[in-house]
Amino acid sequence: MKPLSLTDRIALLFALVVAAVLGLLGLVLDRAVDRHFRDMDRHLLAGKIELVGNLLAKARAAGTLDALPQQLDDALVGHHGLALAVLDGAGRIWFASRTETFPHPLLTMARRHERSLITWTADGRPYRGLAERVSDRATPGGPYTVAVALDIRHHAEFMALYRRTLALAMLLAAIVTAALGWAVTARALAPLRSMGATAASISASRLTARLPNEGLPPELAELAAAFNQMLDRLEDAFRRLADFSADLAHELRTPVSNLMTQTQVVLARSRDASAYREALESALEEYERLARMIEDMLFLAKADNRLIVPHRETVDLGLEARRLVEFYEALSEEAGVSLSVTGEARVAGDRLMLQRALANLLGNAIRHTERDGAVQVRLDQSEGEVLVSVENPGPAIPTEHLPRLFERFYRVDPARQGSAEHTGLGLAIVKSIVEAHGGKVRVRSEPGLTRFEVHLPAA
Amino acid sequence: MKLLIVEDEPKTGEYLKQGLSEAGFVVDLARTGPDGLHLGLTEDYDLAILDVMLPGMDGWQVLKALRAAGRGLPVLFLTARDRVEDRVQGLELGADDYLVKPFAFAELLARVRSLLRRGQPQAAAAILRAADLELDPVRRRVYRSGQRIDLTAKEFALLELFLRRRGEVLPRALIASQVWDMNFDSDTNVIDVAVRRLRAKIDEGFEPKLIRTVRGMGYVLDA
Repeated sequence: MKPLSLTDRIALLFALVVAAVLGLLGLVLDRAVDRHFRDMDRHLLAGKIELVGNLLAKARAAGTLDALPQQLDDALVGHHGLALAVLDGAGRIWFASRTETFPHPLLTMARRHERSLITWTADGRPYRGLAERVSDRATPGGPYTVAVALDIRHHAEFMALYRRTLALAMLLAAIVTAALGWAVTARALAPLRSMGATAASISASRLTARLPNEGLPPELAELAAAFNQMLDRLEDAFRRLADFSADLAHELRTPVSNLMTQTQVVLARSRDASAYREALESALEEYERLARMIEDMLFLAKADNRLIVPHRETVDLGLEARRLVEFYEALSEEAGVSLSVTGEARVAGDRLMLQRALANLLGNAIRHTERDGAVQVRLDQSEGEVLVSVENPGPAIPTEHLPRLFERFYRVDPARQGSAEHTGLGLAIVKSIVEAHGGKVRVRSEPGLTRFEVHLPAA
Repeated sequence: MKLLIVEDEPKTGEYLKQGLSEAGFVVDLARTGPDGLHLGLTEDYDLAILDVMLPGMDGWQVLKALRAAGRGLPVLFLTARDRVEDRVQGLELGADDYLVKPFAFAELLARVRSLLRRGQPQAAAAILRAADLELDPVRRRVYRSGQRIDLTAKEFALLELFLRRRGEVLPRALIASQVWDMNFDSDTNVIDVAVRRLRAKIDEGFEPKLIRTVRGMGYVLDA
């Protein structure tokens, strides 16, 4: 089943709430009106009984009991719907008006000399009645009990009408409220629809669109802001990807065009074997560079797709760092750079990957250190975290470059682009490896010192 | 030494055959899995080089069938896919080595030679010689023309590797792995610098020059 629209839902809920409130109110009023009628009837019936009692007392005193029925008949003339019965001490009906319709349950009650108000239906008509003893046993034939019944058809009719009207009003109110609620909600949700329309218009080639933030209710403004932030991130990621593709094309074009030019030149005329050999050897160097770049890119692509799953073991970073220093010994001595490692740290991680990350950082530091400089690797293990920092002396890297150092092919100095030895992917690989281990990598630079910091969760 | 290559990519197959033949091996080349298996079961080879993706049946199946038939020859896999599961599967099936394309031919040659050498007794204690160079692995001393030469521990290990694999072109990655146990492809010229320093000590001022650069491939010690 298709889920109801938000507007429909709100309208429906409005209608239900209104119906429930009106229904409750109607029930309370119904009870109140009914109670009022009952009190009124009781009052009326009690009055009649008192009247009959007085007449009876007077007639007894005057000794004219025999004339009383006539008197009572006279008194009842014009009181439609009122029935009266007087029972003597033996429970016989001593007097009754309209006995043929006189409601029986009241007589039963009167015979038992109970005093209570009852309601019943006889011959399709609703009655309410009251019975009460009006004289003592000293009265001849007594004690007498008077029962009065009232036809309350008009009350019942009124109640029925009242209930019908109320139900109709409830229904109407619910419908009107639903309609109004629908209209109001549709209006209130209009910004949401326009947000949807804007969102729908966004595509990879049109990422610049943003949701208008002005005049939105706070709830939606928050959503719009979050959505816009997401777009910012997407746009940024897309831009990086586009830059990356452009850089990649450029990086590949250089060696390929070298290869083509060189091969064409060599083939342009016949040469001796050593010239061909020279050309092939030179080509081989370019191929190697290409192959290495492809391999690095594959590694990064796998990292992007979270396919790099470190094989976890306990890695002694101090040991690895010292082994790397040994590995770089010849290179650093040639460059006149000293290497040192201080501290110890252990992490759970992939030894080969961490070795590679550390090697890239160290190689990078050596490359950017002038003669007689000192590269320092510091290891620091604190609670829950391991900090590896690799620092080298050198001029400060301008702040705008710092966050982009870990991007692929990013070079602070574009003139170094052609650098044949390294692919410009080393730091990007460091970042991928560290992140695959749940860590973070950062760089700080100030005049005289550049420091790369790797934070890893401790073993 | 007789080798079997099963490789469906025509160019790769031809060049592997030519390269390995010229390195002194007798080489048979098969283009499909079933052909390769047939050759493997009927001929007697010292080593097999299998591509993983093959028409007919893949490299894993060929290996499985060879092992099931009781052929224990060393097997080296070539693959374009570098996935951990592949490696695990290969090793579980009894592959001996694994090379990811694109690879350097020198690397392949070096791995083939070490697989063939495996199981042969190594005269670890014997003094290694090349021309008038002598290396004593036990006392850790090196002489050239009778003259004692001081080497660092890593330079010693490097020279020992060159001497033990005389005449073989050693790719940089293999040297890094064997001498420093660094198993990643470094984009620095660490190995070049290290070899240059070793040469300065053992070749400078002596004839003949023992360590030679093979451009684009690596280094070789021959005399």
